[in-house]
This record gives sequence, C-alpha cells and structure tokens, in this order.
Amino acid sequence: MALLEVDEVAAGYVEGIDILAGISLRVEAGSVTGIIGPNGAGKSTLLKTIFGFLHPRRGRVVHDGREIQRSAPHEVKRLGVSYVPQGANVFPQLTVQENLLLGAWVERRDRARVARMLERAYETFPRLREKRRHRATSLSGGEAKMLSLAKELVTDPKLLLVDEPSAGLAPRVSHEVYARLVEARARGVTILLVDQNITKAVEVSDYLYVIEGGQVRRQGPQADFADHLRELIRDSLLGA
Amino acid sequence: MTAFLRRVGLCLVAYAALAWVPLVTSEYHTHILVISLYYVILAVGWNLLAGYTGQFSLAHHTFAGIGAYTSALLVQRAGIPILAGVVAGTVVAALVGYGLGSLCLRMRAIYLALTTWAFAESIRLLVTVEYQITRGDLGLTTPFLFGTPRARPYYYLFLGLALAALLAGWQIVDSRIGAYLRAIRDDEEAAATMGVDTFKWKRFAFVVSAMFAAVAGAFQGHYIGLLSPTPMKFNEMATIIIMVIAGGLRTFGGPPLGAIFIEVLSELLRSWGEIRMVLFAVLVIAVVRLYPAGLVGLLSTAGARIGPRLPRLGPRLGLRRPAD
Repeated sequence: MALLEVDEVAAGYVEGIDILAGISLRVEAGSVTGIIGPNGAGKSTLLKTIFGFLHPRRGRVVHDGREIQRSAPHEVKRLGVSYVPQGANVFPQLTVQENLLLGAWVERRDRARVARMLERAYETFPRLREKRRHRATSLSGGEAKMLSLAKELVTDPKLLLVDEPSAGLAPRVSHEVYARLVEARARGVTILLVDQNITKAVEVSDYLYVIEGGQVRRQGPQADFADHLRELIRDSLLGA
Repeated sequence: MTAFLRRVGLCLVAYAALAWVPLVTSEYHTHILVISLYYVILAVGWNLLAGYTGQFSLAHHTFAGIGAYTSALLVQRAGIPILAGVVAGTVVAALVGYGLGSLCLRMRAIYLALTTWAFAESIRLLVTVEYQITRGDLGLTTPFLFGTPRARPYYYLFLGLALAALLAGWQIVDSRIGAYLRAIRDDEEAAATMGVDTFKWKRFAFVVSAMFAAVAGAFQGHYIGLLSPTPMKFNEMATIIIMVIAGGLRTFGGPPLGAIFIEVLSELLRSWGEIRMVLFAVLVIAVVRLYPAGLVGLLSTAGARIGPRLPRLGPRLGLRRPAD
C-alpha cells in the first residue's frame, strides 16, 4: 500500500518555470524509496514540495489517503511527515537538548512522552547525550548531521524525507548516518531518500526512481539498479 | 521554589532596593529616571521581537503612541477611568499589532523593516492631520494618573512596570516558547521542518512587544499630560534601537542597561541638540564593530576578570574565570 503518492505534480520557484514537470511516484509503506538523478533534476524541489515549502501549480500529493499539496510545513509535520534537508539543519545557538526538544515540538503537551523520546534519541545517538548541554555550534559536521537526523527521528515519523544525508561527511560518519536510516526503516519508518551518492542510495533502497528535468526517467526495484551502478553514476555525472 | 516565584522574589527585592532613590534625588532627576524606566519597557519589548525572534520592526514607538492616544481619547471623550483607558489602549495596540503582523511578517529582513516604517509614518501623519480628533501638533491634553505632574509617584509606577516587563520577558525567553523564537531567528525554514508554526509565533512576539509598548506609552501619556505626534517620529525608534544595541542585543540585561545609559547620557548632552543622535550613531557603530555584546557583555567580561581576584566575594557572586 502506498503511504505517499505524488501525482502529475508541477512546481517551481519562479512563475512560468517548472522545476517539477508533471512528476508522479509512489512510496510504499515501510520501504526506503530512493530518488537519484543529476544536479538540477528537481530532487530537492520534490521533497520541498511534498513537505509544503512549495505549493504545486498542478497535481496532487497524497499522504496516507489525504491530499496535502496545499498544506503548510507545520501541518504536514503534524501528519507524521519529517524532513531532513541538506546540510546540518540544526539551530547553532541552541543546545543539543533544546534542538531535540524542538524536534519533539508536536508532542510538547505530553511531557512524559517527550522525556521518553529524548531518552530513545540519546540511546540511538550516544554522542549527543555527552554533548546535550553544549550549543550545536560546537558540534563537528558529523555530529551536527546526527543531531539533524535525531531531531526528526525523535518523533517516530510515519514518513521521513531525507535530502543528501551524506553530503560533505567523511566516509565513516556517512556510513553511520545510513546505518541509522536502515535502523529507522526496521522500526517501521517509511523513508523517501534523495541522494547523489548513488552506490549508497541503491544499497539501502528497496525501490528507486531516476529523475531528470523534473520527470521520472526510469524506475524499478533495487535489483534492477544494483547491476548497473557504473552506468547510473556516469549518467548522473554527465546529466545524460 | 519554582523559577517563576524566584524571579518574582528577585523583582520584589529589586523594587524594594530602588524605592529610596526618589527620596534623595531632585524632581528633575526623578523625572529623568521615570523616562529612563519608560524606555526600559520599550527596549525590553523590542529586544524580544528583534533580538530573540529576529524580526526587525521599525514601528515599535508607534504602538506606544497608539496606546497613549487611545487611552487619552477614551478617557477624555468617553469619560472612562484612566486604568480602563490604559487597558483599552493596550487591547487596540494588540489588535493593530495582530493585523500588521498578519500582513507583513511573511516578509523578510529589509522588506519587514520598510513596511513597518511605512506603517509608523502613516500613523504619525494620520495623528498629525486629524487634528479635530487628536489636536495634531497643538497637543492633546490628558488627565494625570495621580492627579499631579510631580514625578515621584510615577517613579514607583514605572519601576513596577519596568520590573514586570523584565519578568514577563524573562519568562518568555526562558520558556520553550523562547527556544522556538530563537529557533525562528536562527533558521526559519529549519524551525518549520520541526513543525513550528513560524508565522504564528512571530506574530505572537509582535503582539506581545506591541502590548509592552502600548502599556508604557499609555501610562507615560497620563504622566506627561500632553500628547503630540513628535514622539512618533523615526528619531524615537532610532533611540530605542540605539538603547538595545548599546546595552546588548539578544541579552536579558542589555536593554534596561542601555535604556538608562542612553537616556541619562542624552540628558547630559542636551545642550548639543540633535548632534546627540550623530554621537549615538557613532556609539552604535563602535559597539557593533568592536563589542557586539554591548555594555552588558563589557560588565560580564570585567566581572569575570575581577571576580576571581576577590577570593571570597567572587564565588559568592557566581563569577568564574573566562576559561571555565
């Protein structure tokens, strides 16, 4: 059953220029769905549109049977959708704990639940417990990325939108980030992953879409892509 | 004891500690202190909006004017009690703040500043030209709250109001709402991904700061006894900005310290006329370039350096070495 359906969506930042040009895709519940493609294909724009930062000019975005293409980000968040943008999406002047509390914002009225959420986040990311009273500005790039992911996973989202989780990270840290994503999938979190790291995207995804020019060029289960990694990487680099 | 009760206790101690001041100062100096305390309320409100939420409004002084004129006109024309007039002025300012916030808080940075500045100028011009209602530049007389223009009772009133504003600001900044406001300031898009309704909380800060200004403006109107559009000029807004930046933007103690420092300095330099504003502008540039933490940061650094040299007193004051 599809948790998310994107149906013929067209969207863009400037009037008359569509970055997404009638794109359609489905994300099955409990799966990791990978989106790969060259720079400028519209991958990040797709996530921003799903999360409500951009409202599509046409088409529908359906989450759990409910149309959300006109919803604001905080409304989409309340439906159980979380979004990890590119880079370290943390608040540098707030402490690690305050960042995580912000992650649990939608549950703020249930203090006991918030405390349990924080405890689980610290169990999953032990390094963050050590630094919970430190300002986020003192974290390394890898730690900041962990915090960015932790504050989204803390609420146990139904659907997690992740944009370029390994961008700018050392291979060891990047490996840990993907391990946390795989763990989240095992707990039942559905993941829509946009990635330039094609090898990793193919490794962790159950189903993949290749997009280019705001449209789906190719799609299929992981097995269809695993044998053609070299071609995929070449096409992605050349934008072909 | 909860943090709130501890803070209320601190405010009461501060009130008691400062209550003797008008007993030993002249009428003129007490008046300067009353005006300083009026600016403390305005500065605390603007710091909440600009410092902690990152919304650079240039209409803060206008909300003081809206509170003052609403209260004065209702007391004079409708014959309502002064305190009811102050409440009405605060409610009107909150409603106008809500409306203006709804219109312009989706804008960013310079556009928000320009829109609020245009609003402020429009209101000032309206007050000036609608002289049949407001008496324009002729001035609108208002009844005195305590039946006298003498400064001493107003000192006690404004000291209480300033401490109440500090307490309210402290509670907001130190609460979860404060963390959300700072998050919006640091990265609005990231705050939205957290599920924070960024627009709603920006508007909350805008309305609260407008109410701070309106309360101060309304009571000040019933102290001075005469309202005119002059304090609604941009100079007044510039003064508030200078006070907050000189004291320490985004700090708790900066705005009150800056307000008192600039108001007292302004009085000392009164003979310089408008040249004072140039001097203050230079001061702001110097603070921003050389010491962004402002006066409060300067005192904090000085305390951290001197404190450890006072072996017994330092720890009692909670002072530590900078490296700690």
